Amino acid sequence: MFTVGLTHYLVLAAAVFCCGLFVMMTKRNAIGILIGVELLLNSVNINLVAFDRYRPIGGTDGQISALFVIVLAAAEAAVAVAICMNLYSNLNTIDVDRGDALHG
Amino acid sequence: MNPLIQMSPEVCVVLGGCLVCLIGVARRSSARAVTSSVALVTLVVAMALTAWYGRPGDAIQPAGLLITQLSMYVRWITLIVGVLIVLVNAGTPADEERGEFFGMILFSIAGVMLTGCANDLVVLFLAVELVSVPTYILVGLSRTDARASEAAVKYFFLGALAAAIMVYGFSFLYGAAGTTVLRGASGGSLSEHVASAGRLTDFATIGLLLAFAGLSFKIAAVPFHAYAPDVYEGAASSVTGLLGFLPKLAGFAAMIHLLTAIGWQLPTSLLWLLWGVAAATMTVGNVLALLQTNVKRMLAYSSIAHSGYMLIGLLVGPALGAGPMHDGVAALLFYVAVYGTMNLGAFAALGSLTVRDEPAETLDDLAGLSRRAPWTALALTVCAFSLMGFPPTAGFLGKVYVFSSAFSLSPWHPFRTAMVVLVVIAVINSAIGAAYYLRIAAACYLRDADGQSRVSGDFMLRVGLGICGAAMVVLFVIPKPLVDRARYAAAAAHPRRDAHVSVVELPPS
Repeated sequence: MFTVGLTHYLVLAAAVFCCGLFVMMTKRNAIGILIGVELLLNSVNINLVAFDRYRPIGGTDGQISALFVIVLAAAEAAVAVAICMNLYSNLNTIDVDRGDALHG
Repeated sequence: MNPLIQMSPEVCVVLGGCLVCLIGVARRSSARAVTSSVALVTLVVAMALTAWYGRPGDAIQPAGLLITQLSMYVRWITLIVGVLIVLVNAGTPADEERGEFFGMILFSIAGVMLTGCANDLVVLFLAVELVSVPTYILVGLSRTDARASEAAVKYFFLGALAAAIMVYGFSFLYGAAGTTVLRGASGGSLSEHVASAGRLTDFATIGLLLAFAGLSFKIAAVPFHAYAPDVYEGAASSVTGLLGFLPKLAGFAAMIHLLTAIGWQLPTSLLWLLWGVAAATMTVGNVLALLQTNVKRMLAYSSIAHSGYMLIGLLVGPALGAGPMHDGVAALLFYVAVYGTMNLGAFAALGSLTVRDEPAETLDDLAGLSRRAPWTALALTVCAFSLMGFPPTAGFLGKVYVFSSAFSLSPWHPFRTAMVVLVVIAVINSAIGAAYYLRIAAACYLRDADGQSRVSGDFMLRVGLGICGAAMVVLFVIPKPLVDRARYAAAAAHPRRDAHVSVVELPPS
């Protein structure tokens, strides 16, 4: 009988992490990149909860950590949207490739 | 006594930050003007609380936190440089944004202080993010033009990526140890896990690798350095001065915590990787800095190069009881404090100059500055010489300590030859670096007075600049107080001492 174990969750988390990286690298819309960041952080949550469930040592450190990661993701999203608004008011777009004043 | 009283300095800084944010929404401009003074008072009160309550060595520690001599060192230098940061930034923000601006500076300072105390992966992660997230906002707030918002976008997204990589690594470290506690005698911890396994397990190695990758962003090490020049150029000069200190100190403190937890027993492959990162960081930083004419970009690459030097100290590791000449961690801690001050001074000097109401940025703007503003030129030159590592400045001592610590590895240490080679690379790099720091000094003193820059900074900024410049000379003459504290702090990171033992009786120097 096929059972789902720790490895499956770790592979899933790694896959989600890679998706997040791919989204961050290919998207040019700032909100799209923010979604990539959320994917990265959620892959961390999968990892934390899976380790919590399958490791022999007791305690719920992993689940509590996942809660904190969710809180941080929310805080980061708030800052990200503020920064995007600021970019929009300066450039009239949130296409990050259009910001090219800084180079050297 | 409630063990949380030991955290009163951090609590004080966070409450002060909240208070400053509240004052910032006042209707009257005169009320908003006091925000910088309130921030200064908060930092001074936090110093007093650190002196009274922040005593390392108490047996009962608050959960997830461990107050050692290392935490005390991080607290003190963060608070002291924090005062300088507030002084330098006193006139930076627009009138209606003063509350948020100084509030964010205080939150970021509280984050660095918490990083020094963290003994738990979750606390460490949250503390490092408490340093970073306010700095993203500060970059965006510092100026109103499009370049600042572009810099904020770049800084935020790369920073969020680095944070995600770091916490992904932390999740593997948690998986390896089964607990998020870093060090501790009872109830399981990462240090116990590594000690009982006798080596790093696969999960722990992956975790450490990813965590270090994420933290390299905070210290602007290759290959995560690309953001630094753009962000430093886009932000206002006085904010840039803080970007070179707060995230860097937090990053190195976090690295020291992780390495202490694994007993400084890095696998050879990871050691070589860090060696390569250190060599690449200092070389890339110095070579690219040579090509710049914008002083802010030049100092950004110099910030990258200095991270490379500091990584030498991290690779050497702690040596019990030895001075910073032999102790890599003590040398690193001394260097990061000195670097923070001299870097802040250089950016403060730039921030005090304007060219036709625009901020001064290029070498041409500085031409002949010594005749227009002799004191600013002198302070800038002292800081540039200190960054170069030229006596009689503290930057020279910092370089001597870091480089000599590598030579003090025992002859049968498997990594000794590699470290000596790394120091040779670092010395060559210092010589390359001298070329562009001298260009700054030469522009001030030797070129014709055809630059257009004028001093327009406010009084507080000039006080901060003066203290930064004077501190470089004073620390060269009397380095002992700082060196001793760095030494005690490094002893707390030594693997042979248990966390609780390390904080009690240290021999008076």
